[in-house]
Formats: sequence, structure tokens, C-alpha cells
Amino acid sequence: MIDIDKIEKLAALKLKEKEKKAILNDLEEIIHYFEILKEVDTEDVEPQIYTKEACLFLRKDKAENGLNKEDLEKNKTLASGNFYRVKHIIGE
Amino acid sequence: MTITDLPISSLINKLRNKEITAREVIENYAKNIYEKEENIKAFISLDIEKALKRAEELDKMDEKKGLLFGVPVAIKDNMNVKNCETTAGSKILKRYISPYNATVVKKLKEENAIIIGKTNMDEFAMGSSNENSSFFPTHNPVNYDYVPGGSSGGSAAAVKGEEALAALGSDTGGSVREPAAFCGIVGLKPTYGLVSRYGLIAFSSSLDQIGPLTKNVKDSAIMLNAIAGFDPHDETSVNIKKEDYTELLGKEIKGKKIGIIKEVMEFNIQEEIKEELNKTISTLVKLGATIMEISIAHLKYALPAYYIVAPSEASSNLSRFDGVRYGLTLQGENLTSTYELTRTEGFGEEVKRRILIGTFALSAGYYDAYYLKASKVRKMLANEFEKAFETVDTLLLPTTATTAFKLGEKKSPLEMYMSDIFTIPVNLAGLPAISVPHGSDKNGLPIGIQLIGSWFKEKELLQIAYAVEPG
Amino acid sequence: MNEYKPTIGLEIHIQLDTKTKLFCGCSSQFGEKPNTHICPVCLGLPGALPVLNEKAVEYGIKLGLTLNMKINKESTFYRKNYFYPDLPKGYQITQYTIPIASEGFLEIKTEKGKRKISIQRGHIEEDSGKSIHTGDITESTYSYIDFNRSGVPLMEIVTYPDIETAEEAYHFLVLLRKTVRYLGVSSGDMEKGALRCDVNVSLSKSNTMGTKVEIKNLNSFRSIRKALEYEIKRQTEMLKNGEKTIHETRHFDEKTGATKPMRTKEELNDYRYFPEPDLPPLLLNETFIEDIKNSLPELPVQKEERFIRQYSLSDAYAYEIASSIELADYFESIAKATGKPKEVANFLMGSIMKFLNETEKTISEIDFDEKKFIEFLSLLEKGIISKGIAKEVIVESLKTGKSPKKIVEDKGLIQITDENKIEEIVQQVLKENPEAVSRYLAGKTQVLGFLAGQVMKKTKGKANPQIANKLLTEALNKIKQ
Repeated sequence: MIDIDKIEKLAALKLKEKEKKAILNDLEEIIHYFEILKEVDTEDVEPQIYTKEACLFLRKDKAENGLNKEDLEKNKTLASGNFYRVKHIIGE
Repeated sequence: MTITDLPISSLINKLRNKEITAREVIENYAKNIYEKEENIKAFISLDIEKALKRAEELDKMDEKKGLLFGVPVAIKDNMNVKNCETTAGSKILKRYISPYNATVVKKLKEENAIIIGKTNMDEFAMGSSNENSSFFPTHNPVNYDYVPGGSSGGSAAAVKGEEALAALGSDTGGSVREPAAFCGIVGLKPTYGLVSRYGLIAFSSSLDQIGPLTKNVKDSAIMLNAIAGFDPHDETSVNIKKEDYTELLGKEIKGKKIGIIKEVMEFNIQEEIKEELNKTISTLVKLGATIMEISIAHLKYALPAYYIVAPSEASSNLSRFDGVRYGLTLQGENLTSTYELTRTEGFGEEVKRRILIGTFALSAGYYDAYYLKASKVRKMLANEFEKAFETVDTLLLPTTATTAFKLGEKKSPLEMYMSDIFTIPVNLAGLPAISVPHGSDKNGLPIGIQLIGSWFKEKELLQIAYAVEPG
Repeated sequence: MNEYKPTIGLEIHIQLDTKTKLFCGCSSQFGEKPNTHICPVCLGLPGALPVLNEKAVEYGIKLGLTLNMKINKESTFYRKNYFYPDLPKGYQITQYTIPIASEGFLEIKTEKGKRKISIQRGHIEEDSGKSIHTGDITESTYSYIDFNRSGVPLMEIVTYPDIETAEEAYHFLVLLRKTVRYLGVSSGDMEKGALRCDVNVSLSKSNTMGTKVEIKNLNSFRSIRKALEYEIKRQTEMLKNGEKTIHETRHFDEKTGATKPMRTKEELNDYRYFPEPDLPPLLLNETFIEDIKNSLPELPVQKEERFIRQYSLSDAYAYEIASSIELADYFESIAKATGKPKEVANFLMGSIMKFLNETEKTISEIDFDEKKFIEFLSLLEKGIISKGIAKEVIVESLKTGKSPKKIVEDKGLIQITDENKIEEIVQQVLKENPEAVSRYLAGKTQVLGFLAGQVMKKTKGKANPQIANKLLTEALNKIKQ
């Protein structure tokens, strides 16, 4: 039922075979447990995503100061020209 | 009586009356840390030097202002503290230095609290024992062989071990209340939206809520006074009138209606916990409250609904940890393999398990059956609670079905998930709830009694909690 | 006639011209050093949360209303999940099930007449950062990411597959760009990426749906038209030969004018959309929408029609002038001040536009205000300057900023109306051009224009043309007798 390879790829994870097998077992057990939700008749029930009476408030279009280079470089060195650098995006 | 025995209000009084100095306070807590931390391991990072410096600054102030003047607090490591390491208990964020303060941290600082360190936690708040920390497990100060609970286990242990006077935790499915119960302290989970989540590293955005862990109910109310309030940086924070949560403490509770949830009693609950629950009921009756049985018919579906909603949101919330801008990076031969190596190595097993569950539950063809279905069950539960609160003021139930378990006591993930069975429904409905310590079992392990209030009725909830809190 | 009917749909991303980003207070201006307009929110730092920009909502509603769409009083935000290095959170916040605006249309005018193009939806979403690749995208070892654009507000407009020709697609886009500029909600500049368009096209014989082909990398309206023309031709030929078109994404090559299948990595397209829990529903009240409705400016098409009605402009001039709000405003203020709309339109579309094109300036950058225009027209009316000189005066005034009167005085451009003076020159011209004179006498009366030109040349354009013409004709007729 669970296409673990696809799920793994979507989640950008790559488990070792042994780990994968163990986790797949757990997942199947957990997802099997979810089956009891089928007992609940949810017809005509609106899903609750947000809590009671939640409503967005709007921010005025006013500029605020952000982060500077020192803030950023505490965690990652920027490439020349202030860029973040990653391995090539396309191609293998 | 030593300084570290003092609750918040007494400590502040002594500081204001200049009977003691803030430096002395920190020194006393530091002494405890030196003595016990080796065994408890409550903290991921500690900065006593900085705390002492801040204490000295406070001592120099003429006006001893602030709701938490000189109070040493510990912060769960999933809350951002500017220029401090903020790891969320994960290897993927090891040595991550945050460039900003969470709103709660800002508020604590404004109230002149002194931050003493960042506490250990289950990685990304996913766990009920603190054994899922990437770094090391925390031990229960009551008995080092036992877990302190989780995921705010470090915060609970720090307060119980008197390494901090109060702490902040976050509660997604019971992560403040369960460790409070296991360690024998007070843990409050406020109404969703009462405390800003800005700067709290998200686990499950629609369930997460920051709450205090304290020695007693009054301290809990004081801490809530400091951290509650609307935040323009959090769209889910609610703009309601500021209240004084200590206002009703000690006021009589005669005529209050307390509900006992019928369905809770159908679960397998440790005998001693049932006894403590009955004792609480007796206390309440003696104080003039009325006890009523009410029903939350879909209670047993809360757990599966939670384990769909929380991992689904988590799978998305944790996508930002990709090694590009911060945190661990393991270079692969191309971008995809860099992502995969970084995330597979950076996340622990439980986190990966939940990311995969969530990814699955949201994936094409399953969304309706899982996420949508769970959200509907969530609505039904909220409706049932709403109905219950038309009749009763507060609900009474155990915080956990058992007392703390031993470290390394092998449990399957599903068994582990079951430990949150009484705390999860509260998060799904967005309600406030508090765990108050009440007695202990035959091994001397603390027992927690849980009270659930209606939305934004923290004042009344704390009033009742204060009434049932043992001497 | 093509037996296969093309069906074209457009997806247009319009960058909303707000001061700050959609969910944070970072500036959304461009051209800054990379990674300088970023904060915990748009960099996707742990713990940061989005807060919606009011202006973006307002602009979204403005555009929605203008495109005749229904504004949804309750709309929701979703997360679209995928990994890409310029997407800092690993998801894009967008609208999915209920967008802010839905079901509308835009009426376009083509050579074949008016056509309503239906619009399915308009939703607000955040932009990603920018990836820069050194050298060939397929060969570079590294990509460089700039997050300044990350979180900039976009409104995505999705049309129904209502469009039938490349021409129509082009007209739709031109009008849409004009509209967003009019509203002031976007610069609409394609080259700056403020307007981006993906197209999909399919061909089918009857009413059956064909196979959809998407085209990407369209950087100008011209390439969109060319790509569509190419694609329609390519698919027609395939179908005629009995081949089947396949559902794919193709890349437009600006140089060759052809579309090519895009070489993409095998991708899993499962975005796992779910409601963004950090953003409760956006609830709009009636007054908020009503206020925006009342603030809407007159739109290009309405303005064009009014110009024809009110000022008796030609269709072509009305269209041109109404195509830019600055131009239209300039025209109207001068037309009102002078009371001579037709003359104003003539000079505006003639000398002034020519000057603007040559100097690459916009109407707002020039200094030829109402006062100058009134003065200028009165010089002309009083016969102080000739029409020919008038052009020179305008250009000089545009260049130097001097008043028309001053230019006329300084340069001695006052029209010669003295018949004796002109007569003298006429006689000179006739003497110097005997050949033309004999041609005229032989019946080639069009030579008169040439001779008149010579008179103007000798007077540096200052001779009153009517008088010059009159005297020339009289003189020639005299010779004839």
C-alpha cells in the first residue's frame, strides 16, 4: 500500500535498506491504526484546520529592517557576490 | 529555606526589598546546576556567565521592574534566542546561531527574567520521553533511572531539579503537561492563539502552543501574565483583552461545575492515578464544586487524528532543513543527493518516521482519506468539547495513564504514541489545560492531574487548579 | 483554413508593486545586492511566521475587479510542497481551493472584432528566490541563489482555454499589461520579470479536447506570439500526418524561433497541497471591497471610448493616447486647458511622440506644460508661426525647456505674412526653376507643391503657406496667360 520509494523521494530522504524496512513496518502498523477513523461518520462535517474564529489580520505595507551579512554568515559562508551556493540544480 | 526553594512571587519580593541580590539568585541556581546537571542533563546549552552578568545589571537598577524581575528561566531549545545556539534537539541544527528572538523570549527579557540556558528536548518536539533528543537523554530528577517525559523534558527536569525557577516548553500533543506530570511540577498549555508562536520552531503549526513549567500554579499564572498576548508577527495569535491570570487564585470555587469524561474512564489507567483523581474529586466536592459526568464520544479517535495531522504539518514544516542556508550540510554529488544526505543524516529516526507518515498522508490519492478525514474528526471533537463547556466549567482527568517509565524501556512507536492519549484531544480542540502534581505512586514517581478549561478561560482554569493543588 | 482548431490557455504571473514582500516587511525592490532584502520569514529561518501584506490584498482585489471577477469574501492559503534551493521553506504559500478572485473576463479587440476571453481565477502567492547559473544551465557545477525576490507578491491569472489564435493571445497580454499599469498594481515589465507567462496550447478537430502542450521560457510578447504560431503549425502538421501530439512541456528558443521538448529530470509532481496552518482564512468585508471598487480608475478601453466621444479623436489616436495613463492624463489636462483637443492630439502624437521615441523619454519626464502648450497654440492661431515652424518650436522647447514665445523671438521664426515680401521670393523661385515652371504650364499642377516647398525653404519655413500658395498660383497663372 505504501510506495515507500516515492514517499522517500518526496521527503528528500534516502534511508539505508535496513532502516527503510524497519520504518516501513512501523509505518504500516501506524497507518493500519488510522483505519479506525473509518468508523467515524464524518458526512456533513466541515474540516477544522484553524481553531475557533480564526481570521487573518493584515499588515501595513511598511518596510522593516531585515538581516545583515554578519547574521547570515554566522551559519553559512556566502559565496562571492553575497550568494548562497548550491551544487548544480539540473543534471546528474 | 534556600533561595532555590522560593516561588516566583516570594523571590521577587525579596529582590525588591533588597534582602537578596539577583547575583545571589543566579549563584544559588548555578550551584544546583554544578551539582545535579551531570545526572539530570536538562540543558543543551547553558550560559551562567551571561546570566550572572545580566543579574549584576539588574542589581544596579534602581527600580526593580518587571513581572519576572531576576527570575532565572530556562527555555526549551526550540525557541529562538538571538545570538544563541537554537537546535530543537536536532543534529541538523547543531551549532545553528539564531539571528532573532522569539516573541516569548523578547517578552521574558522585557519582564527582566534572566535566561540561564536552553533545555533538552525530543528532536523537533517529537517524543514523550526526551529519548529522541539527538544529543543525549534527560533524566527525571525524581529518579534518574526514569524519563522526565517529553518533549519538554529538559524544561520540566530543570524546574524539578531546581536548576531554573521556571521554564518555557511547547505543547503540541501534551509536551508540556506530560513531562510536568512525570516530574511532579505544574505545566500549562494555554489556548491556541493566546501565546505567540513567532520564533518557536514549528512541529505542527495548528497544534503547537508555548506554555510555562513551574513549581506551582501561582508561578504558572505569573509566567502566563508575562508571555500571553497578541503578536502582530503571528497570524494565529488572537487579539483579546489582556488579563491578570492571578486574579482569581484563592477565590472560592463553590458552585463550579466540574466534568468527568466518561470515555476517559474506559481506558486502562494506573490504579494509583485513579486514586489521586478520586482524591481530587473529594477535594473539589468539599470546596463546594459539583461533579458531573459528561461525554466526549469521539475521544478515542483523537489519537489517530492527531498522528495524521501533526506529522502532515511536520513533514512540510521540516522541509526548510535542506542544508542550503543554515544547519548541517552534507555535500553529495548533486543537489538532490545533497538534500538526501543532509536530511537523512541530520534527522533522527522518529523525525524521519513522522516526516514519512506525513508525506504519505498528504500525497496524491490519500489526502481525503487521511488529512481531511482527521480534520473532520478534529471538528467533531471540538464540537463535543464546546457542548461540554455549555454545562461544565472545567474538565478533570489524568494527565497520563501511567507514571514515568524507565529510560530505554523499549517501546514501539505506536506504544509510545499512546502515552499522549489524554493530552492530545486538548491540542486538537485548541483548548487550555493544566497538569497539577498530585501525590505519587508506590515507586515515588509523581502523578499529574489534568484540568481542561474552555477557550481563553485560563483565569478560571488556574483558579480551579490552585484549589486542587496540594498544600 | 486550418481544419484543426487551436485552444490556447494562459497562466500569467503578475508581480504586485508593493513596497514590501507578501509576508514580511522586507523591501520588494529590485536591483540591490544579492541577499540584502531578507529576514527570518523570507529566508525560511526556523520559527519564522508569515503575516499578510494589506496592499497585496488590495492590489489583488483591484485587478480581480477590473478583470470582471468575483471577489471571494473568504479565501484560503495553501502550501505547495516541493524542494528547490530558491524555495527557502520547501513550500510555496499560494491560494488553491478558493482564490481571492474567480470567474471573470477581459474583452479584447482584434482585427476581427471584439472577443471576451474568460478568466478562471486570480490568486495571490509568493515568489521564489532567484537561481543564477554560471554558463550553460546543464553544465554549470554550481547554482547561486539570491533570496531578495523570495516572498515578493504575485497575482496569478489563469484564463480558460478560450483563446484561438496567437494574435488573440498577444492582444490579451497587451491589454492585460496596459490594465495593470493603469491600476498601478504592477510595472508589467516582462524583461524585469514583473510579468511572466506560461502558455498551453492544444489542437483538435471538432469539439474534442486535444493534447495539452505547455510552453515555457517566454520572455516577451513577441516570443509568445512566435512560439504559439510555431507550435500551432507544428501540431497541425503532426496531426495532418496522422501523428499524435504528446502531453509535454516545451522550451521556446528565442534564436531559432522554435519550441523544443524540455530536458527535465524525471520529476515527481505531487505537491501535497494542504491548508497553510500559519494563515487562517482571509475574510474580506463588503466595505473593504466596496472602497477598492470606488477607487478604481477609468480603464484603457473606457477611456479610449470616452476620448472618441468627448474629444472627437480618431480611433487610432484615442487608442494610442489611452494606452498609457500618463499620456492620457497629459492629453486631457492640456486638451481641457487649451480647449483644442484635436490640435493637442495631433501635436502629441506627432512631434512630441517622435521626440519621446528618439530620446527614449516618457511623457512624465518632459517639460511642456499647459502654459507652454497654450502659448504655443496661440502663436499658431494668431499666424505668428506657421505649421511647419510649429514642429520646430515644439522640439526646441522640449529640448531646451524654453517657452515657445522665447524660441520664436530668439530664432526670428515669426511667420512672414507680408505679401510683398513673399511675392519677391515667389518671383525668385520661379526664375530659378524654369523647368518646373514649364512642367506646371504643361498641365502637371502637382509641381506646385515643389515650388511652394522652395518658397518655404528660402524663408526657412517662415512664409505663411496659404499666402505663399496663393501668390505662387497667381504668378504662374500670369505666366500662362
